[in-house]
Amino acid sequence: MEARLAGLVLQGLKQARVQVMASLPDSLLRGVYNAAMQDKQIRYIPVTNEAEGAAVAAGSWAGGKRAVLIMENSGLRVACEALARIGLVNTLPVVMLMGYRGDVGERVHWGVNHGLTMEPLLNALRIPYIMIEREEDIVPRIVRGVVHGANTHYHVAIIFRRPLVGEGV
Amino acid sequence: MKRYDALQRIAKLVKAEDLVVTSVGTIKNEWYSLAPGDGTFFLSLMGGVVPFAFGLAVALPHRRVLAFDTDGGCLMNPGALCTMANELPPNLTILVFDNRMYEGVGTHPTHTSRNVDLERLAAGAGIPVTATARDPDAVTRHVSAMLADNQVGFVNLRIEPGVFTDFPKDRIKLSDGVEDKYKFIRHIERQENISIKPPYLNE
Repeated sequence: MEARLAGLVLQGLKQARVQVMASLPDSLLRGVYNAAMQDKQIRYIPVTNEAEGAAVAAGSWAGGKRAVLIMENSGLRVACEALARIGLVNTLPVVMLMGYRGDVGERVHWGVNHGLTMEPLLNALRIPYIMIEREEDIVPRIVRGVVHGANTHYHVAIIFRRPLVGEGV
Repeated sequence: MKRYDALQRIAKLVKAEDLVVTSVGTIKNEWYSLAPGDGTFFLSLMGGVVPFAFGLAVALPHRRVLAFDTDGGCLMNPGALCTMANELPPNLTILVFDNRMYEGVGTHPTHTSRNVDLERLAAGAGIPVTATARDPDAVTRHVSAMLADNQVGFVNLRIEPGVFTDFPKDRIKLSDGVEDKYKFIRHIERQENISIKPPYLNE
């Protein structure tokens, strides 16, 4: 994702009063990670795996600061147990930002499986999700996603598709 | 030293404004019997106690946060110790109750029953203050020091197996995870004068 669009992602997060970002980077959303690392308003926290990131984000919500977990959509598979426990046992939200690796038209063979499993896993965990593929939708849909997480105290996935994310590596 | 012996010492060091995150298992019931207030989050997620407590410490940097993890939970996500070493949350103290087994599911040994030393693991990750406590006096000494030093700290509590169950009737934990969540966040809301989960969002 190019820097101008990444700036809109941060604008949407700030408008939604997000203050913490747990992160395990991928190439599709590379611009967002770069922008968040430099940002003074959002606490950017690199983690070692996506389940850990889900727990960091949930802890932040429990303490009253809105947080997101940003990762590749394959990270959803890593985070499933954490998301199930946090969401279904304790009803705390993890708002996730993901690029849609494996979307129709995927150019790398290793990414196709990420797309095949993403939506079934979200549905299995009863996680609502919202897709963003147009620039003008970035800010309002991020705000809608975070507000939904805050209102339901359950997880939400915000998924960025081509052409916004480009092809990555 | 049994876990309950250590928890009794820790309960004397925890103040009303401190926050605790506990791991899965019978530690929940033991800690609740000693500290039945609403300042504890009972997290049922192995590998998640330290990162969850860290998220809490980030959200509330003026409060002391204690993470009560287990050897099995710590081994499930040792990467979290690396994250703590990089982030250095000054208000977080990590206490790992290491009985060298998965006691609740049949006493099968964990890796700490053989060659793995959790204090060395934490120190190797880069956590600046670490210790191992093998008796109640050492628990008091190390935990009180780490709660006062304004640095992230890690104590490995080497405990013997055994579960305490002889609680007074009014100190038995009956709540589920949803009730636990609401008790905890309402506690934070009252103490911080903030709104975490309002009945209606006005935005």
